[in-house]
Amino acid sequence: MLHGRVLSSPYAHACVKRIDATAAEAIGAVVITFNDIPSVRYNERIITIPSVLHKDHYVLADKVRRMGEAVAAVAAETEELAEKAVRAIKVEYDVLPVLTDPIKAMKPGATPIYDTVLWGENEIEIEHNIACARSIEQGDVDRAFAEADVVVEGTFNLSKVYHAQMETKSAICRPEPNGGLTVWPTTQSIHNVRILLGQIFDIPLSKVNVKRVPIGGTFGSSIQMNPPIPICAALALKAHRPVKLTLTREEDAHDHTRYGEQIHLQLAAKKDGTLTGAKMEAIVDIGAHNIQAYSFLGVTVGWLVSLYKIPNVRYHGTAVYTNKAPSCAMQGFGNPQVTFATESLIEELAEKLDIDSLELRLKNYVGLGDTFWGQGPLVRSIVESDGVPELLHRGAEAIGWSDRPKSGSGTGRFRSGIGLGRGFHTSSAGAPQPGDVIDFSGAMVKLNVDGSVDVITALMDHGGGTLEALNRIVSEALCVPLDKVNMAPAETCSTVYDCVTHATRGVYAGGGAVLKAARTLREEILTTAAHYLNVQAHALTLKLNKDLEQGVVYTPSIPDRTMTLSELATRCWSESWKTIAAVESYRPVNCPPAYVTVFVEVKVDTWTGLVHTVKAVMGSDCGTVICPAMAIGQLEGGLSKGAGYALYESNAWSTDGQLVSGGYWIDSKTSGISETPHIDAFTAGFAHTYEPSGPFGAKGIGEAAINPVAAAYANAIHNAIGIRFYELPITPEKVLIALKKKERIHG
Amino acid sequence: MLPEFELLMPRTLPEALEMMNESSRVIPLAGGTSLLVDLRGRISRPQMLINIGGLDELRGVRVEEGYVVVGSAVTIADLKHNVLIAKHGQVLQQATRVFANPLVRNRATIGGNLAYGSPAADAAPPLLVLDAEVELTCKDAKRTVPLKEFITGVRETVRHPRELVTAIRWPILPEGSVGVFHKLGLRKADAISVLSIAVMLHRKNTEDYAQVRIALGAVAPTPIRVTPAEELLSGGPLTPEVIARAAQLASESTHAISDIRGSAAYRKRVITALVKRLLTNLAEGTKEKKHNESEGYHS
Ligand SMILES: Cc1cc2nc3c(=O)[nH]c(=O)nc-3n(C[C@H](O)[C@H](O)[C@H](O)COP(=O)(O)OP(=O)(O)OC[C@H]3O[C@@H](n4cnc5c(N)ncnc54)[C@H](O)[C@@H]3O)c2cc1C
Repeated sequence: MLHGRVLSSPYAHACVKRIDATAAEAIGAVVITFNDIPSVRYNERIITIPSVLHKDHYVLADKVRRMGEAVAAVAAETEELAEKAVRAIKVEYDVLPVLTDPIKAMKPGATPIYDTVLWGENEIEIEHNIACARSIEQGDVDRAFAEADVVVEGTFNLSKVYHAQMETKSAICRPEPNGGLTVWPTTQSIHNVRILLGQIFDIPLSKVNVKRVPIGGTFGSSIQMNPPIPICAALALKAHRPVKLTLTREEDAHDHTRYGEQIHLQLAAKKDGTLTGAKMEAIVDIGAHNIQAYSFLGVTVGWLVSLYKIPNVRYHGTAVYTNKAPSCAMQGFGNPQVTFATESLIEELAEKLDIDSLELRLKNYVGLGDTFWGQGPLVRSIVESDGVPELLHRGAEAIGWSDRPKSGSGTGRFRSGIGLGRGFHTSSAGAPQPGDVIDFSGAMVKLNVDGSVDVITALMDHGGGTLEALNRIVSEALCVPLDKVNMAPAETCSTVYDCVTHATRGVYAGGGAVLKAARTLREEILTTAAHYLNVQAHALTLKLNKDLEQGVVYTPSIPDRTMTLSELATRCWSESWKTIAAVESYRPVNCPPAYVTVFVEVKVDTWTGLVHTVKAVMGSDCGTVICPAMAIGQLEGGLSKGAGYALYESNAWSTDGQLVSGGYWIDSKTSGISETPHIDAFTAGFAHTYEPSGPFGAKGIGEAAINPVAAAYANAIHNAIGIRFYELPITPEKVLIALKKKERIHG
Repeated sequence: MLPEFELLMPRTLPEALEMMNESSRVIPLAGGTSLLVDLRGRISRPQMLINIGGLDELRGVRVEEGYVVVGSAVTIADLKHNVLIAKHGQVLQQATRVFANPLVRNRATIGGNLAYGSPAADAAPPLLVLDAEVELTCKDAKRTVPLKEFITGVRETVRHPRELVTAIRWPILPEGSVGVFHKLGLRKADAISVLSIAVMLHRKNTEDYAQVRIALGAVAPTPIRVTPAEELLSGGPLTPEVIARAAQLASESTHAISDIRGSAAYRKRVITALVKRLLTNLAEGTKEKKHNESEGYHS
C-alpha cells in the first residue's frame, strides 16, 4: 500500500498558475494535480435532490478558496517519503485578496470567490459572493408587529466552530483489476460516497464498493464526502496501487466547521405572553464551498417556527462565500444557532412581561397536534408525542427553578444563576411527500439455520450506538435473543441504499427500516411455519423461549403445533427450499420532534470572568428509550459540546484566512472532562412518551441533546450577573468587559 | 507531519557536550513537547537534534550545600511526586499539578520549560519567587545565571548554542516561608496559561513579613518579577489597604501582551484581582498548610 499526502495551499485565496512536480516524481512519488482529475464539478453532499443541488467543487483545485485546500497530492511507499515528495512540489500562485467577513464579502467590488457554479445542471453566476438566498413568509407580519404589546429583538453572533471529532478524515482506496475501486472511508453514508465516486471518475457503480468502517465520531462532518476520499481514489487509480490518505489534525481543522452565522431576530407578543410574530434575518458564513447552504437556509426558519407557535413570520436568509473552511452540518444543523437566539429572547420577553419564562414556554411551544416543519417548509408533519410539560416540570423541580435568584441580584465575587433552554431536533427528514431532501433507509434481515439472525444495513454508527439500537429492535421484533442478532459488516455492493446517518434519524428511520424488514421476515417465518405445522399462518405467532435461548413459532390453542426458529430454518435448508430473508426500503412519513430541556446552574467569578458549571439537569423526550445507557451518553455529550460552544470554542480566523490557533487543539478549546460537571451534579431524565410512527415508539436524541445548551448557559449567566450575551463563546474576557460596563452605568 | 532530521544519541553528558561543541546547529531535544510541535508546524527546522532527555547526569533532585538542585531533564511528572520538592519547592509542585495533561507531564522537562523561553512557561513564576538560578554547561565551562536574567524575550534566552541547561537550583527556604501558585487558563486542564502567578512570603513573625516575592507568567514577553509591588509589601504587615495598593501596582507596572488567549486589558484586570486574592489568602491563612489555589485539574 502506498501512502498519500496532500499539498495544501498556504494561501486562503489564490489562482494556481503553475505546478512543477518533477522533483517529487524524481523521488518516486505518484503525483496528481488539477490536470489529472476529471473535470467534473460536484457537491460533496448529495442529500439535497439533484435539481436544486449547487455544485462548486473539484477533486483538486486550480483556484484555492481556503487555507489548506488541496492543489496536488502524492502517493509514495512511506508516509515520510510522501511528505518529502509533497514538499518538493513547486507551485506558483497568483494571490488574491482574502475575504473572511461575510458582510464585507457581499459589498460591491469585493473580490469574487466564484464566477459561476452549477445549480442542478445549469451554470449560474455568483453575484456579491452570495451562494444562495431564501425568503419565506407566512401570515400578516406587519399587522402582527403593529398590534403587538411588546417586541423583543437581538442580533446574535455565532462562531464557526470545529467539529473536533475523534478521528481525522481518512480513506484507503484499492483499485481493482476490473477498473473499479474498493474504498474504506470516514463517512456517514457509504452509498453516497459510492454514487459520487462513480459519477466523478465515470466508473459503473457495480464496480465501486465502499465499505463501512467503524468510526468514533463525526458530529456531521462526514455527511458530505470528505476531500481526502476522492483525492485518495484519484491517486490509487493513477498509481494502480492501494493508497491510504489521512489528514493531520491541523489539516482537518481547516477542512470543516459549523456554520458561522449572524441572526437578527425580533419577536412580537401580546401582554398575556402569546407570541404573534417573528422577523428573522440570517447571514450565514458558508466558507469556501457550498455544501448544503440551500437546505440550511430552509431549516433555519424551520427551527424557529417549530420551536414556538408563531403565526406570522418573515424570514430572509443569505448564504455567503468566504475564504474559510467550508461550513457543513454540525450536531443540530443550524438548530443550536437559532435556539440560542430564540431561547435568549424568550427569556427577555418573560422578563419584560413579568411572566415565569417556563410558563411562557409552555404557553407557546409547538407540541401535541401542532404542525411541525423543523426540516424546512416541505417537510411537514403533525406532532404525535410530546413530553415537553413533563420535562419542564421535572427539570424545574430538580434544579430548584422557583428558588432561583432574581436576575442580577447577586453580590460578591462569585454569583450563581440558573438558566433554562429548551429545544428539539427532528427525527429524520421524513414527510408524507418527497421534499428537497432525500430521506429513506433500507435493510435486509435473514434467518440462519441455528435460529440466529443477520441484519444487513448500510446505516452508519459514529460512536453513538446506533447499530446496537438496531440489533435491539430486531431482537424485539423477531423474539430472538439479543446475542443471536448479528449486525453484519456492510459494503455498498451487498446492502440496499441508506441515505445517511444524520438528522437524528439513525434509530428512528434506520431503525424503522430494520423493523419493517424484520416484520416482513416475521410474516415469512409464519407462512413458512404454517406449511410445516399445518396451521393457518395468521393463527401463528412468535415468542422468545428463554430456556431454549431462541424464538419459537406457536399457536396458543394447539400446544404441540410449535417449532423453534432453528428447526424451521434447518428444514428449509435441508429440504433445499430457501433462505428465510426479507429486504425493505423505508421512507419515514413523519419527522417527529425529539425534545430536550436543559437546566444549568453556573457560578460566575466576577474577578476573572470564568464561568463554572455547578449543576446540570437534562431531560429528553426520545419516545421509547431503546438503549438507556447510550441515550444518557448522548445527553452528557450534548452538554459537553454545548458548553464548549457556549463558553470555550471561538475558532477565530485571522484576516488572511488562517485559523488563529493554527489548528492546534491546545488553543481550540473543546471542553474536556475537567469542564464537565461532576457525575453527582448531572441528572438525565426521560419523558414517558411513545411515538406512534417510530420503531417501538422511539424517536431520536443525538442532535437534540446540544440544541438548547448554549441558550441555557447564556440564560444562567444572565440570571447570575444580569447581563445578556448575544455572541458565542461567552469568554471570561467578554464577561469582565460586560461587568465593567455595567458597573460604569450603575455606578 | 514531522520533517526529517538527524538524531544524535549521546550516552553521557560529556559526550553530549562534545557533540554540541562541534556545531552550533545541534539542537537539544529533551521531552520534545515543544520542539516536536514546532518542527511539525515548520516553525523551526533544525537539521540535527541531540537527545539529552535520557542522560543520567541530568536526572534527579537533590539537596546540596544549602541548595535544592534539580537536573534539567527531570520531568514535570517527576516533580509532581517528588518528596524533596514537596518539602522545599511546594510552590513549584503546585504548578506541576496544573501543567498541561498527564501525558505531556510525563515527557516535558523542567529544563525544556525554561530553555524554550516561553512567557507562559508554568515553572517559571514559581522558580522566580524561589530565586532560582540556571546552570549552563558547555564543553569547557560552567556558569550560573539567575533565572530573572535567563529569559530575555519571547523564545530568547542567554543560553549560548553550544551550552546545555544542566540544572536548576535555588537556596533552601528559611523556616516560615510560604508560597502559592495560581494558573488562569481558558480551560481547567490542558490549557496554556492566560496568566500565572506565584507569590512567596518569608515570615519574620506573625504580623510582619521580611520579604514578599511576586512573579507573573504569560503577561509580558518574559515571565517577570513585579518588583514595585514587592517593595511596597516588604517589611510591613499585610493590611487590606496595602494589598489592594500592591495589586494595583502589580497591574500598572506590567506591560501586558495581547494574544490569542486574552487581551492586554483583560490581563491587567485579572492581575489586580488575582494578586489581591492570593495575598489576602496568604495573609489570612498563613498558618494553614494547604493552599489549594489552582482551579486546575488535580490528579
Ligand atoms: C498539549 C501541550 C500542553 C502544554 N501545556 C503546557 C502548560 O500547561 N504549561 C507549560 O508551561 N507548558 C506547556 N506546554 C509546553 C511544553 O510542554 C513545556 O514547555 C515543556 O516543559 C517543554 O519541555 P520539553 O522537555 O518537552 O522540551 P523540548 O520540547 O524538548 O525542548 C524545548 C526547547 O528547549 C530546548 N531545550 C530543552 N532542554 C534543554 C536543555 N537541557 N538545555 C538547552 N536547551 C534545552 C530545546 O532545544 C527546545 O528549543 C504544553 C505543550 C503541549 C504539547
